[in-house]
Amino acid sequence: MDEPFLSPEAALDLTQAILARTSGSPCQRLQDLACAFLDSELDTDQTRLIHSHLDHCPACSALVAALVESQEVLPKLVEVNPGPWFSQRILRATVHQPLPPGFDLSRAWKKLMHRPRIALEAAYLGAAASLMGIYLPIPAPSFAVKVPALVQPLSASAHRVAGRLVQVERRTTITLQQRIAPLEIIREGTQTAQGLWQRFFAGLRTWLPPFRKAQPSSAKVETTKIEEKKPQPANP
Amino acid sequence: MEFPQLLALVRSGDELAWESFVRFYQARVFGLAYHYTTQAEDARDITQDVFVRIYQNLVLVPDEPGCLPWIIRITRNACIDHLRRRKARPPLWDLPADEMFDLRSTEQNPEEAHLESVRKRMVHRALQELTDLNREIILLKEIQGLGLEEIAAILEVPVGTVKSRSNRARLELAQKLSAVGMGG
Repeated sequence: MDEPFLSPEAALDLTQAILARTSGSPCQRLQDLACAFLDSELDTDQTRLIHSHLDHCPACSALVAALVESQEVLPKLVEVNPGPWFSQRILRATVHQPLPPGFDLSRAWKKLMHRPRIALEAAYLGAAASLMGIYLPIPAPSFAVKVPALVQPLSASAHRVAGRLVQVERRTTITLQQRIAPLEIIREGTQTAQGLWQRFFAGLRTWLPPFRKAQPSSAKVETTKIEEKKPQPANP
Repeated sequence: MEFPQLLALVRSGDELAWESFVRFYQARVFGLAYHYTTQAEDARDITQDVFVRIYQNLVLVPDEPGCLPWIIRITRNACIDHLRRRKARPPLWDLPADEMFDLRSTEQNPEEAHLESVRKRMVHRALQELTDLNREIILLKEIQGLGLEEIAAILEVPVGTVKSRSNRARLELAQKLSAVGMGG
């Protein structure tokens, strides 16, 4: 005699009916775990449960089979043949160009100068520098300030550079005066520029640590004088 | 030849080395651009632009482990720019997506090659039906084979997000494929 309740179809129907009235379909749970299942990230018990579900659920079996197949096919899509002459097209577009240099100062300068707002920015900077030069109170350095040993070589170098700049400035001024002497207006302008230039260097001289080295002899004399002024302890 | 040596020759201006470099990466770059744009001619233009950009910035090309992600990042940016331009100014008529019948296949048997081509075409079509985000994750992870960290760096999202989105994208693709009878 046929036993309908033992047939696989009947058992499946019964399971689905029970699940529908209790926890609902487990297919959503399988979908959540399908990728981890294929990547072998699940433990043995979960893997066994999924195998058990797949044995009885054709929809989930098809989904997992499609996942497996897509995993096989997708890596093969990495390269697509663009056509027989495509390499030549790329090479034509690139090789005949000069190789760009690593860093070109003149190119960088041109690029900077081609910026649309460079004139405005230069005007701002010039105005700011002028205002600072006119209104900024420059503190007069004290000659008694001791320059730290580490800074001394730097200070000496700065003085040397400043001295050199003064020489260059003088030479430049003389040359300019010789060449543009006939033009009175320009000469006046030069004198003004020279005045500003000298003022700048005078400010630079006062701002930098002193040109002369500290005079140890005078310092020593002062120290001696102070020591002399100290009151002597009274003898008992 | 090892990649660092090839790169050094390319940087020194050796045209043969540059040709070798182009041949090594062009199918990959073209494949990525093709999957993004679905138009072969657009993908060719993008690929050419990408290589011109690489050539103009040879000093910036990183060495072997980082070279491919760098190229993929440039290609992706170029594709996104292209798609934005196309969206802003769509063509007068929209041609159907090209069918790249010559997707590279290693199968020698003609029947197997044909079956392989059909499967690739089906997957390619299913990819076009995915959401942009899911398609991008599949392109970078499953097709280009990038790691989760590299994808997270490119997409500027956390690694955990990449992982969860990747699972969602794979599942969505499998559902599309299952719906057309693939894998059954």
